[in-house]
Amino acid sequence: MTLKTRQARKATLPPRGRRKSKFQADLAPAEDQMVRGLKQELQLNSNTDFLSDALALFRWAVGERKRGHRIFSEAETGERKELVLPRLERVAPGLALPRVEITWTPRELERLADLSSKEPSPPTETLLRAMRG
Amino acid sequence: MAVLIRRLEEPDQVALFDCGDEPLNNYLRRHAWTNQQKSSIGVTYVAIDEGAPRSVLGYFTLATASVPREAFPKKYVRGLPAYDLPLILLARLAVDRRFAGKGLGHALISEAFKIALRVADDVGCRCIIADVYQDRIDWYARYGFVALEGGDPSRPQRMFLDIRTIRIALKGST
Repeated sequence: MTLKTRQARKATLPPRGRRKSKFQADLAPAEDQMVRGLKQELQLNSNTDFLSDALALFRWAVGERKRGHRIFSEAETGERKELVLPRLERVAPGLALPRVEITWTPRELERLADLSSKEPSPPTETLLRAMRG
Repeated sequence: MAVLIRRLEEPDQVALFDCGDEPLNNYLRRHAWTNQQKSSIGVTYVAIDEGAPRSVLGYFTLATASVPREAFPKKYVRGLPAYDLPLILLARLAVDRRFAGKGLGHALISEAFKIALRVADDVGCRCIIADVYQDRIDWYARYGFVALEGGDPSRPQRMFLDIRTIRIALKGST
């Protein structure tokens, strides 16, 4: 009997890739209030619609930063504010370079210190060409 | 052929990449993606043809590093800032043999310089360091890289390029 029930239930389930997954979050009272306020402002009836819209916006922002684009808001006066979220900055190409350890010989360090403390050399013609492109 | 340079993505076809150097081929085929996504020890940028956007024509890998101030010989420390010296490591740069001699290496290193400038603007960086095969030293020297003599003979020649020189070049080119 049990086996029959399980089989019947299995038959009604959509295939794995198309099943909807549940999302549950513990929100602090202030965050909960924020969600309710935003839902009201945006005239969203359900948490599902709210999450879906928030996800679309977040996905867009991640995509823009991944391409190295910066995200700004601009007032009518022309005043601009940049959106900087530490988590978003992790995917930005400039800042996403990981840190590694390099080993040096004493002579290399000497030369490195010497070159770093001097005035920079003028760029070569090839370097100028590289930066022109 | 319109070439685009962007970060390596998982579906990119790297298996057929052949620059003629097995360690460089092997790095792209086996380690570049893992190092970028899981181990976070290097970000790889690939050149692709927009007409065949998954086929990799060339690549370079970047990472950041720093040298602690106390590691420098005392007589030089006074000329340096009072902090560790931040730098960018151009860890690898390679072009597939089928596209060699078409300016792809130049396009790749140009992009590496532009990324280095962005990093320098955002988080600070004093120079680019590259570990260069003996037969490529002249090619890097054309961009202004200077050899750091006295390195470990078992590894490639380490070379230095001041980020301020690149910044001057950017101003001079506009």
